[in-house]
Formats: sequence, C-alpha cells, structure tokens
Amino acid sequence: MRVDHPTRGKLELPAGQPLLEVKSLQVSYGGIRALKGVDLHVMPGEVVAMIGSNGAGKTTTLKSIARLLPIGAGEITFAGKRINDTATADLVAAGISLVPEGRAIFPNLTVRENLEVGAYLHRDRKAMRETLEDVVALFPRLGERMTQEGGTLSGGEQQMLAIGRAMMARPALLLLDEPSLGIAPKLVMQIFESIKKIANAGVTILVVEQNTRIALASSQRAYVLKTGEIAMEGPSAELAQNEEIRAAYLGG
Amino acid sequence: MHKYRTAIFVAGALVVAMALDWALPVLVTDGSVRQLVMLAACNVVVALSLNVINGMAGQFSIGHAGFVSLGAYTSAVLSGNMHKWLGGGDATLARSFIVVPACLLASAAVAALFGFIVGLPSLRLKGDYLAIVTLGFAEIVRLVIGTAQVGSGGETIGQAMSSGGALHALSVAVSKLGGQNGYMGPDGQGLPLYAGPFWVLSVTTLACVAAWRLKFSGWGRALRALREDEIAAAAVGVDPTRYKVTSFVIAAIGGGVAGGLIAQMRDGSYLVNPETFNFQASFDAITMVIIGGSGSVSGAIIGGIFVTVTVKAIEQLQNTSVAQLIRGPHMLGTFELTVDLNALRMIIYSVVLIALMIRRPEGMLGERELGQKRPGPRPKSEPAVT
Repeated sequence: MRVDHPTRGKLELPAGQPLLEVKSLQVSYGGIRALKGVDLHVMPGEVVAMIGSNGAGKTTTLKSIARLLPIGAGEITFAGKRINDTATADLVAAGISLVPEGRAIFPNLTVRENLEVGAYLHRDRKAMRETLEDVVALFPRLGERMTQEGGTLSGGEQQMLAIGRAMMARPALLLLDEPSLGIAPKLVMQIFESIKKIANAGVTILVVEQNTRIALASSQRAYVLKTGEIAMEGPSAELAQNEEIRAAYLGG
Repeated sequence: MHKYRTAIFVAGALVVAMALDWALPVLVTDGSVRQLVMLAACNVVVALSLNVINGMAGQFSIGHAGFVSLGAYTSAVLSGNMHKWLGGGDATLARSFIVVPACLLASAAVAALFGFIVGLPSLRLKGDYLAIVTLGFAEIVRLVIGTAQVGSGGETIGQAMSSGGALHALSVAVSKLGGQNGYMGPDGQGLPLYAGPFWVLSVTTLACVAAWRLKFSGWGRALRALREDEIAAAAVGVDPTRYKVTSFVIAAIGGGVAGGLIAQMRDGSYLVNPETFNFQASFDAITMVIIGGSGSVSGAIIGGIFVTVTVKAIEQLQNTSVAQLIRGPHMLGTFELTVDLNALRMIIYSVVLIALMIRRPEGMLGERELGQKRPGPRPKSEPAVT
C-alpha cells in the first residue's frame, strides 16, 4: 500500500533521531499522578508496543501524545518538533493519526463517509481515491460494506474501520489504543495481521495493548508500564522470554 | 452532463420562478393561498437552516426565530428606506433587482454576526444548557424590539447621538422599529413588498441546493462526524471549535435570509411584528426539522411545507365553508357550536408528533434523503462483542 504522507519529505530525520520522543512525561488526574515521568521513543519504521495491566498508564500516555489530555510536565517531540501545545486536530496535518480506544467510529455515517472524513485534510481527490483503494485492499470487509452505516458493523469491523479511517490521512505515525478491546479472537488476529501490513508499508506504529502475547508477537520493541512508570523495556522477543513478564502477563 | 447537473437544475428553477412571478397571480386568484405558497417556501429556508444546527451539528437550538426576526427587521428597515429613496410608488419587479439582493445580503450579514455571538457559548455548553442560551437570545430580540418606548418625540438617531451618547442613540433607533405595533416603514405607510414569487422561489431553490451540497461536502461530513464523536473527529483533524461556531453562523445566515424574504413577501403583511417571531415560531421551526427527519435536507423541505400548510390552512379554514358547516345550524338545531380551529391545530400537531414518535422516532426520513435506501441490516456473520 502507498503511504506517501504529504509531509514525508519534511520528515527526513538525521540518522539516529527518533520519530517520536517522550521525555519525563507527567500527567495527573485531579490530585492523582497517573504518569510519574515516562520516557520513551519510537524510531522511524518501528512497531513499538506498550503493555501493562489496567491502570498502569498506557492509555494515559497515548492520550497525552495525541494531545487529548493536559500535560503536567515533560516534553513530547515529533520529528524533532515539540508538540506539547499542538491541538489534536493539528497533529493529523503533522503526520500523527490516532485510533481512539473503543472503536470510536461515526455510527450514523456510512462506511464510505467514515473513511472520507479520515482524508479530511487531503484536498486532492485522486490521491484520496487511491488511498481509499489501499484501505479497502487492506480490509476487504470494509469494501463489501461501503454503503452501510458504521454503527451496523460488528465490533471487529468497526475496529477495522477506525484503523482504515486513520490510514486515510496517510500518517507517518499511527497511534493505536487497545485495538483488541472487546473483539472476537479470530478478528483480533486479522487486525494484527493488518497492522503488520501497515508497518511493512513503512508506517511507524505505537500500539497500546492489554493482550500482551499478541502485542509482543507483533512488535519489535516494547515498554512495560507499571503504576505510571516504565518498569521494563527492550526487544519484544526478549521480553516475551522474560520470567517476570511471563509470570505477570502471560500466565506463566 | 453530470458535471453540470446542478447548474442546469438551478437555471431551470430560475426560469420557472420567473414564469411563476407572472403566472402565479393568474393561476391562483386567492391572495391568501398565494401567501401560503410563498410562506411555505420561506419556511423551507427556515427549516433548512435550523437543520444545520439541530440536524447536522447535533446541537439543539430552540431560538431560531431570533435570527429570522433580525433578518426580517433588517430587510424591512432597508427596503422601506430604499423604496422611499427610489421615489415610492409601486414595488416593481425591475426595482426588486436592486432592493431584494441588497436587503437579503444585509439580513444575512446581521444574522451572521449574531450567529457568531450565539455560537460562541456552544463551545462550552452542550444539550439543554445551550438550548437555553438560544432561547434566551430569541427572547431578548423579541422583547428588546417589542418593549421599546415608541413615540419618544421626533428625535432622530443623529440628534440622540449628540445629546445622549451611543446608548441613547441605540434606544432611539430601536424605538423607531415600532415596538409592539410592528414596523411599517420609515413613514409608517406599510412596507414595500418587493419579493414576488421569483425571488421567494429562486432563493428557496438556492437554499436547497446549498444545503444539499453542504451536507455531502467535506465540510458537512466533518460536521456530522463531530456530532457523532468529538474525540474521534479531532483525531482525523476536524477542529471542533471552528466547526461549531461556523455551523451557527451558517444557520443564522439562512434564518436571516428567510426573515428578509418574509418581511418583503408579496401578498404578505405590510408590517413586521415582534410577536411573529415568538417562541411558537422557534418551536414550529423545530417541528419542521423533526417531522422531516433531523439531518435530512429533503426532510427539512417536507417538514417546512407540511408545518406551514397545517398552521396556515387551519387558520384559513376558520373562514371557509367547512367551518361554516361545522358552526352553522345543523342537527342540534338551535345549539350554537363554536369551533376554534386554531386550537385544533395543536391537536393535529400533537397527533402527528405522537404518531411519528411511535412509528418513526427519527422523523419521516431519519437522516436519509428522499430516494436513498435505508441502511443495510446488521450482518450476522459475527456476533457483536461489547
């Protein structure tokens, strides 16, 4: 699939510079500190997973990167630029697309309209049609359901739609928030297959996932979050062999 | 061919409207029926514009009459003065090409300004709370005009400005709108009625085309997306702030233009009265949108026509033979039976609304358009997991 993001030219990074970098990120909900200084980075072309149990701060981290939460302290940079004060809507133009938690599709818009809204920033109709073809090639199910309203899709199909919609913006970085949440196991496999295809096309991916097994199997590196801090990090294959992680998250 | 479909449609509509300008008085000799047709067209514009806020943006405005009122007064004041300046006499079709566009543009501009002001709270308020703001706005417009002290001497606005400052000048200006008695032009001789069938029908057609294009444009899609899920919409790059305020401005412009037309409508009233744009009028506008189906352009058109016809037809019915038949001497002999058909209107309303809520909770068309199929059923291939 084609992933020539319009800003890709500007995203040429010096060797060794991460596409996304988060430095000592702190976020509080009221008086409760949800993140106590999270450091992470994602290199161009990488698939990075964030795992951890409920309430560890995975989604909070992702939401902060997507600028849906006010940041307490710390710095987030994308392609060398500080995005702490960038509005969510402006991140898309910069090259970051978010797939929100819980299949946040537009239920009363048709599948086609959902996807077209995803290409909202692209005025070029021909390019949009091409991207649409790519997304349909990625998720053939969506192609069969183009004129159906988004709300009538099954859970798994809605997740496909949410990912497809994010891909319509041709992002350089795709943020995925719990793509397996509440979806039939067979479809979870399919969705992660598609994520792999997206990554193979050159899109950098940061995925938050509770299903540790599949997250580690489909990423190159991973961060383990525990009570608002990075407890462990490393290549996913190594983490999958780690005794502590096996005991805590993989059921022995 | 497909490319020029809209252009051909609009051109055709303009020709038909021009023909009707001449033909309508010949075809329909009853002035009140002509008025009904024109009013229905104006109300279609009202419904289409309210549909932008209540249907597409998913906000809830219950003060749309405020925008219509501002548009009507702007158009009335400007057309009255232009007519005087043009030397009075008949409101001819030739002159209408100067007066009507100028007045409608002014109505749109004034309404847009207030749409922007009323739209700002929509950034912080949702649902019922925003509804109250819109209601408050419409009531302020109605009461400020309606309770102005009329006949405060022959002071002109210029004199008031020099004697009592801007605030005094403003109150003198408002008092010149005639207060509770309504505005009848600068000399109190009645408003010139420039907007014949040509203007009413062509503006309505343009409004329909604009509403249609708006709904299916990228802008409309983004607005509807925002209504469904604000976070997801922001995640695809839709700026919520800009869209919410813009939707109010666009709806206000539509309401203002409709008011501008109503004020000058041929066969219409020679005065504009603040009570025409009371809460009942706002409520009628909501009914038009809901009956047709929130978010549906063709639904708003159907709703606009339906509500106007029921409201007016029943008022007209009062004086027709049917009413005479009910009222007149019949089997009960000397028993005088009076039927207030205006009250009947609320009953018809209620019955239609209740029936609709039971049979079609989403209105006649839901969000669909005429001719669009209902969305397909939920697939059975995989059970939904929630």
